Amino acid sequence: MNVTCADRERILRDGTPEEWEALERHAVGCSECSVELRAWTSLSRAAEELRDYREDPALWPKIENSLRQSEQGQGEGRRFWEKLSVWRGIPVGWQTALAGVLVVVLGVSGIYVVTRPPREPSQTKLLKNSALAQVERTEREYMKAIDKLAADARPQLDSPTSPLMASYREKLVVLDSAIQEMREEAGRNPSNAHLRYELLAMYQEKQETLREVLETKQ
Amino acid sequence: MGSVGLTLAWGNRISPVAAQGVRRVDAPEIEEPNRATDTVREDAALAAGCLAGDMCAYERLYQLQGARMKNLARNLLGSPTDAEDAVQETFLKIQRGIKGFRGQSSFVTWTFRILVNTCHDMRRSRMRRKEQAPDNSEAAPPPEPRAPGAHPCLRMALERALITLTPQQREVFLMYEVEGFHHAEIAALLEISETASKNTLFQAKKNLRSMLEPPRSAEAGGAR
Repeated sequence: MNVTCADRERILRDGTPEEWEALERHAVGCSECSVELRAWTSLSRAAEELRDYREDPALWPKIENSLRQSEQGQGEGRRFWEKLSVWRGIPVGWQTALAGVLVVVLGVSGIYVVTRPPREPSQTKLLKNSALAQVERTEREYMKAIDKLAADARPQLDSPTSPLMASYREKLVVLDSAIQEMREEAGRNPSNAHLRYELLAMYQEKQETLREVLETKQ
Repeated sequence: MGSVGLTLAWGNRISPVAAQGVRRVDAPEIEEPNRATDTVREDAALAAGCLAGDMCAYERLYQLQGARMKNLARNLLGSPTDAEDAVQETFLKIQRGIKGFRGQSSFVTWTFRILVNTCHDMRRSRMRRKEQAPDNSEAAPPPEPRAPGAHPCLRMALERALITLTPQQREVFLMYEVEGFHHAEIAALLEISETASKNTLFQAKKNLRSMLEPPRSAEAGGAR
């Protein structure tokens, strides 16, 4: 086979072994091709300098460790799916029926959640049984104390000598009426903490008014 | 194009005698039938072992290809530490993805494709990190020192010249000239055609040659 300088680039790119041999023979008598060919093969030789296949005894233990850890994680995931695969053993008819039941249950639950009446905000604050008993006990004692105070102030209120005292009497009548209503409401919803706070505020108001009545007397 | 880093006259770098023995032509493989069968059998056994989760199969794969994998990763990433991480990550990806191996290429080729993709990912994330915290370093990090070879100056010059190639030229050159892959294997690894692999290698060598060649004027002056 005879090659010329014009064939050189094609052979360097994609030449057959025979073409390479022919180019080498040609290069013996052609200085330009000789330089090119030597440069080309020198690069391949130089590339060997980038080859470093030394053993690294520390690397495999690290890889093995991470492989085992990953395998363990995969195993846990597999076990979960294996548990779910029990489903596959059930006949298709039953699977369809179960799926249907599930859809109906989900549908009904969804409809209930969407259509149920909104809860009143006051109902959200509920007292637990033990707390409720303690509140009622304290309330009773507080009421007794206020009743005692009211007994002290009764002479002034029954026969008011001034417009101020008449106004105190009027206020206490309104307060007693409101307290009565609130107690009835609290009796219907004993666990409603909000009602209890309202009632307490009214008692405090009554206590404050009675204190003012007694101070006016003095 | 000017020369990069160290430039040595071609004749000084490699003796003509040594250079003569380097010619590598990617001719159709003419292997002994028994050897080819053994290679295919070993490849299939490795794939089957890894699929079964046999740790010995992974160890065998490491014994056969670990050093080559690390060397390729080191040349692609420029750091032995990153190369070790890339090899470790590759083994984990093999374990996770072995069920997806369809045998369209050899198992070893498949593992190297994973390695190359892992190196791409690592390089990308490294570049992202650099964008977030810009500094004055070069675009591609200079390779870290390694064991001295027979021609350390030549190696350094080549490493510097390789950085200036396009990523694909660098990969094809490293796979063909350093790791000894055939063009068919490189084509499968990089998902390109064999012709594209040959053309890319030719272009890479041409570029490297022009970068490593001493300036023509100096050469001419020296001749005078």
